[in-house]
Amino acid sequence: MSLVRTGALSLLALGGGVAIMQLTPSSSLLGMFTQAVIYAIFALGVGVLLKQNGLVSFGHALYFGAAGYGMGVILALGWMPAEWAIPVVLVGIGVLAFLIGLVIVRVPGIAFGMLTLAIGQMVYLMATRARGLTGGADGMSINWPTTVFGLPQSMLLKPAMLFMIAWTVMVLVTFVLLWVLRTRFGSITEAIRDNEERARFIGITTTVPRAAVYALSAVVTGVAGVLSSFNTGFVSPESLHWSVSAITLLMVVVGGFKRAIGPIVGAIVYFLFKDLLGEYATHSMALFGAALIAVIVFSPDGIVGAVERLFKRGSLQGGRRHASGH
Amino acid sequence: MLTINLFNGLVYGALLIVMSSGLALIYGLRRVVNFAHGALYMLGAYIGFSVAQHSNFWVALVAAPAAMAVVGVLLDRYGFRLLQDREPLNVMLVTFGLLLILEDLVVFIWGKSNYSLFTPELLNFSVNLFGNDVPAYRIGVIAMGAVVALGLTLWLRFSRMGLFVRAASTDPVTTSMQGVNTDVLSAGVVGLGSALAGLAGVVAAPFLSLTPHMSSDVLIDSFVVVVIGGLGSLAGAFIAALLLGMMQAIGAVYLPEVSVLLPFIFMIAILIWKPSGLAGSRT
Repeated sequence: MSLVRTGALSLLALGGGVAIMQLTPSSSLLGMFTQAVIYAIFALGVGVLLKQNGLVSFGHALYFGAAGYGMGVILALGWMPAEWAIPVVLVGIGVLAFLIGLVIVRVPGIAFGMLTLAIGQMVYLMATRARGLTGGADGMSINWPTTVFGLPQSMLLKPAMLFMIAWTVMVLVTFVLLWVLRTRFGSITEAIRDNEERARFIGITTTVPRAAVYALSAVVTGVAGVLSSFNTGFVSPESLHWSVSAITLLMVVVGGFKRAIGPIVGAIVYFLFKDLLGEYATHSMALFGAALIAVIVFSPDGIVGAVERLFKRGSLQGGRRHASGH
Repeated sequence: MLTINLFNGLVYGALLIVMSSGLALIYGLRRVVNFAHGALYMLGAYIGFSVAQHSNFWVALVAAPAAMAVVGVLLDRYGFRLLQDREPLNVMLVTFGLLLILEDLVVFIWGKSNYSLFTPELLNFSVNLFGNDVPAYRIGVIAMGAVVALGLTLWLRFSRMGLFVRAASTDPVTTSMQGVNTDVLSAGVVGLGSALAGLAGVVAAPFLSLTPHMSSDVLIDSFVVVVIGGLGSLAGAFIAALLLGMMQAIGAVYLPEVSVLLPFIFMIAILIWKPSGLAGSRT
């Protein structure tokens, strides 16, 4: 896909967001959509790691929660205005993840997943035990200023506005990811993913690019964390728990990680599913587990993969009909 | 203070041995990281609880592992065997889906309240050990861990089937070419591994309470054990389980602030030093 086409599709997607915002009847439904979009960004982060490094993270909630805590601590201590705090937190997460990545991407396969799980749980346990500013297991509310980027909070916190902010950020993140993966950096990391040894033979250093992908995926997840901290005004250790990482990984796989749009589809389907099952909410996890198994068994490349195959089959049959007509 | 903590560390280590040897066996043969293992542990504990209420603890101690063995065989026959050509990630996520279903099933049948199982009469007394009164039941747990470890080692080392299991863990294709029915073997091993999870559940029920969330703590600790030990290695898992139990016990005395973090710090250190784990030579 050329950059121009990606840009055009992004603009189209932005328009789609406006349409969704206008057509959604209730503000509570719009609130649910906002949450779905925030998790879609989170899932984009987990997905890029899986797509580009072939690595499964069971600990990305770490970066989701850390972004919220970072914002909370900086704003509570009044170190800098919120407009500065956001980039500082994101850069901080990027640097932290890069350093962690340099160490852990050397560990192969499933052990990598377990390692991310361990690091994530460690931070979760620390957050539940920490006294003082971060409030331990109770969490902390985030002291957003009354105006952010020159806009009053009362205006920003309207459901329609929140949705449009989240949606715009999601489209931007997708665009940036698609662009980054088209550069030389994208080809190098793909080569390393497919065969690390051969990549080394042709003179590519392999650890740094993989750590960079890990950092990129962490920053994307951090963006979701910042948005979530603005949306709810609150952060608690729950957002660091490994089940959050696992659910997001599940969105990525159910949506289909081979396409950029897969994690977004997965997140939206997850929230729609959860909303539809509202009245059976006590057993929604079992139903979601069953749906997960069904998707993986019948379509290993997720919903997006299944839809693509459906279209391909359709066009093949069309072609055949056309040929037999002569 | 330290001796009683070391003793409790040994108790938890024994429990982890039983849990993680099941995980390691299943990984060895099927190359599956089984998230459902925690759910089987929980299911074993709850089934044991219900059986013990109608009869007694000793019947439960047999019934729950037996029930989990059946579940394990079915899981292998209609799960892992059909999915054996799939990406390991996909199979892992299927077991995660199964974990969600089984956790909900437990809430559906037994509700959300906490239960605990009474210590069996026979072991409901204290023994004086190095100047501390310790419950005999906990000594029983350590003994069970030892019996499981010894039994599995002897079985794998000296029996014909143990030889097949070792062979199939190394190279399933060649093993089946030599005339070993690896499908039946895998079903047996997954059944055995699941039975061990059920056993751990029943045994843990009298001293760790039964809650719908009981699976994830033990599951994560068992993962840590299996990864530190080297995926699929039993000996590594035994050593790592004891180390982990001890470390938590000693940490609780000298470093109470960070004792819960110790297993993770330990795991990170080991994996950075030896990415394939203590006993891991294979990837």
